Amino acid sequence: MPLFILPQTALEPFMERLRTVGELHGPLRGSDDAVRFSFLQTGDQPDLTAVRSLLPPKKYLLAPDETILTYRPAAGYQTPAHETGPLILLGVHPCDLAAIAYLDRQFLADPPDPTYAARRKRLILIGNSCTPDNNCSCHQRPSALSTNCDLFLYQQDNGFLISVETPHGERLCQSLGDLLLPAEDQQLPPSSRSNFGLPLPAPSANELDAHLPDWQRLADHCLGCGACSVCCPTCSCFEILEFGGLDGCSAERLRRWDNCLFKSHSEVAGGHSFQKDRAQRFRYRYRHKYRGYGQLQGVPSCVGCGRCRAQCPTGLDLRPLAEYLEKERP
Amino acid sequence: MSRPRLAIAGLTACSGCQLSLLNCEAELPLLLERIEFQFFPLACSPVRIEGCYDAALVEGCCSTAHEAELLRELRDHSRLLIALGTCAAWGGVATLRNDTPRKELRRQVYGRHPLPDDDVPRPLSAIVKVDAVVTGCPPEKHELLALLGDLLRGNLPVRGTAPVCTDCRMRENLCLLQERGMLCLGPLTLGGCAARCPSLGVPCEGCRGPAPEANVAEALELYCQNGFDAMTVTGRLRRFCPEWNHDQRA
Ligand code: SF4
Ligand code: SF4
Ligand code: SF4
Ligand code: SF4
Repeated sequence: MPLFILPQTALEPFMERLRTVGELHGPLRGSDDAVRFSFLQTGDQPDLTAVRSLLPPKKYLLAPDETILTYRPAAGYQTPAHETGPLILLGVHPCDLAAIAYLDRQFLADPPDPTYAARRKRLILIGNSCTPDNNCSCHQRPSALSTNCDLFLYQQDNGFLISVETPHGERLCQSLGDLLLPAEDQQLPPSSRSNFGLPLPAPSANELDAHLPDWQRLADHCLGCGACSVCCPTCSCFEILEFGGLDGCSAERLRRWDNCLFKSHSEVAGGHSFQKDRAQRFRYRYRHKYRGYGQLQGVPSCVGCGRCRAQCPTGLDLRPLAEYLEKERP
Repeated sequence: MSRPRLAIAGLTACSGCQLSLLNCEAELPLLLERIEFQFFPLACSPVRIEGCYDAALVEGCCSTAHEAELLRELRDHSRLLIALGTCAAWGGVATLRNDTPRKELRRQVYGRHPLPDDDVPRPLSAIVKVDAVVTGCPPEKHELLALLGDLLRGNLPVRGTAPVCTDCRMRENLCLLQERGMLCLGPLTLGGCAARCPSLGVPCEGCRGPAPEANVAEALELYCQNGFDAMTVTGRLRRFCPEWNHDQRA
C-alpha cells in the first residue's frame, strides 16, 4: 500500500484537482455550527476535524424519500435515471466507511438494488482519520482504519499521510503527483480498530428474552421520534408507498426511510404485528445493531459512530445493555 | 373509470383546507374531468345535499346543533366520510380553550341573554363515523391530491405514523429541542409536512395533531427538564388538539 504526504498547504490545490475528476463533497460546518456532508465549492473549507456529521454518507446511496418506479400510460414502467459522473466524498471516517461496506453487502448482493448500485458505482471515497468522543464506540467495533475507500488521509502535524487503497486511488494519486511528497520511511499509525463487522459469538440467552426489564425501560423513555435510524449509517429499513395519479392510470412508487421502533414497521396485512410493543421493538433493534440479521446474521451492524446517542433527544444508549448482555454470555 | 361523486363541506373552521384544494390550480382541470363535485358550497352552487356521494370531505370542527345536523346528513348520504384537516380530525384551533367553565364564559360574553345552541366544539368523530383522516392545518397539497387519487380508485388514503422529527432529521436539520432548548412539539406531532417549521428554525407548533405513537408522558418530562413550566407546555399542546392523554407512553 503506497504512502504519500500531503502538506496542509497543498490541501486547497488537492481539492481543486479532485474537482476536475468529479463532483466534490465533504463535511462542511454550517452557520448553525452543525456539520453536514455537502457540495464543496472552490473556497469552501471542509471541516476535517469534525467528530461527526448529522446524517451519515448513506444519504448519497439511499435518499430519505425517493421515487423508485413510475407508470405512465405512454411510457409504461420506468425507473428513475441516475447521475453518472464521479462523486468524490472527502473526509469519510472509518466508521462511516465500514457502514458503507455493510450496506454494500446488503444492497449489492444478489440481486443488487439498482438505485443503490448506480449511486455506489459513482462514489470515490476518501477516508479521514478522526478523534473519537464519548458517544463513539468504534473501539468496541474495531477495524483497520482504512477499510473500504480509495484513498485514506491520516491527520498529522502540518498535513496528511495518504495511503492508497485501490487501483482507483492509485490513478487518482498519479494525477495528483506533483502535490504529494514521498512518505519515505513513514509507517501507518497503529490502529486499535481491527475488526469492524467481524462475526460475533452466538447471542446470550438473555438477549432473546422479550421480557427483560431493560427493554421496557428503554421503551418508556423513547419518544419514538425516529432520529436514531435516520442518522444511523447502517440503518436501511424503508417503507414503500404507492400513489395513484389523477388521470386514473399513472402511478408512482416511493421508498422512504423507516425505523423499527415504529409500530408500522412490523405490521402486516390485517393489522397483525410481529413486535407488538415498543419494548419488543427495542430488542429487535438491539439484535440488529449488535447481532445482525438475515444473511448477515452474526455480523453486527453498529459501527460505533455514536450518532444515535448524540441525536437521541432523551439520550438513550444501547451500549450499557449491550455490555451487560455480552458479559452474560455463557 | 366512473367519476366519483364528492361532497365537500366546511363546519367551524377557516375554510383553509378547502381553499388548499382550490389552490391546486394546475390540477383543477384534470380534477373537474375526473371527479364530480356535487356539493361544494365554497366553490359552486347549487348547495343542496341530494342523492348519494362516494365520499364527503368535511373540514372544521362541529360546534353547533345545525352543524351536527349537516354532518349527520352528509354521513347519511355518503359511502365514505373523510375528516379534512386538523379541526375536523382533532378539533383544531376552533376548539382552543382554557379550563374556565363554559357557563362562566357564556355569562362573560353574552351576559344574561340565552344562547340558541351551546354545543362544545368537537372533532367529527365525536358525532359520526369517520372513515379516514387527512390531517394538517391545512393539509399539504400532495396529501390532498393523493387523497383524490385514492378516491378515484375507490381506496382510502394510507396514513403515515412517523412524527415530524423523522421528517426533520431526514432534512438534516439541527434539532431545535435538543440543541437550542426550544419547545418543539415535533416528537408528538404527526409528520408528513417535511418539517416545514423546524426547517426554518421555528419550533413545531403541533398543527398536524398527535402522532399515534406519541410518548406524551416522556415528552412532558423532557420539556419540563428543559425549563418549561406545565402551563406553557399544556397551552402549546392544546393549540391544535384539546384532548391529550398526558399519561400515554406508547
Ligand atoms: S431493523 Fe431497525 S436497527 Fe435494523 S436497519 Fe432497520 S431500522 Fe435500523
Ligand atoms: S447504532 Fe448508533 S453508534 Fe451504531 S452505527 Fe448506528 S448510529 Fe452509529
Ligand atoms: S432517537 Fe431516541 S427517542 Fe428517538 S426513536 Fe430513537 S431511541 Fe427513541
Ligand atoms: S427540531 Fe423539533 S421536529 Fe426537528 S428533530 Fe428536533 S424536536 Fe423534532
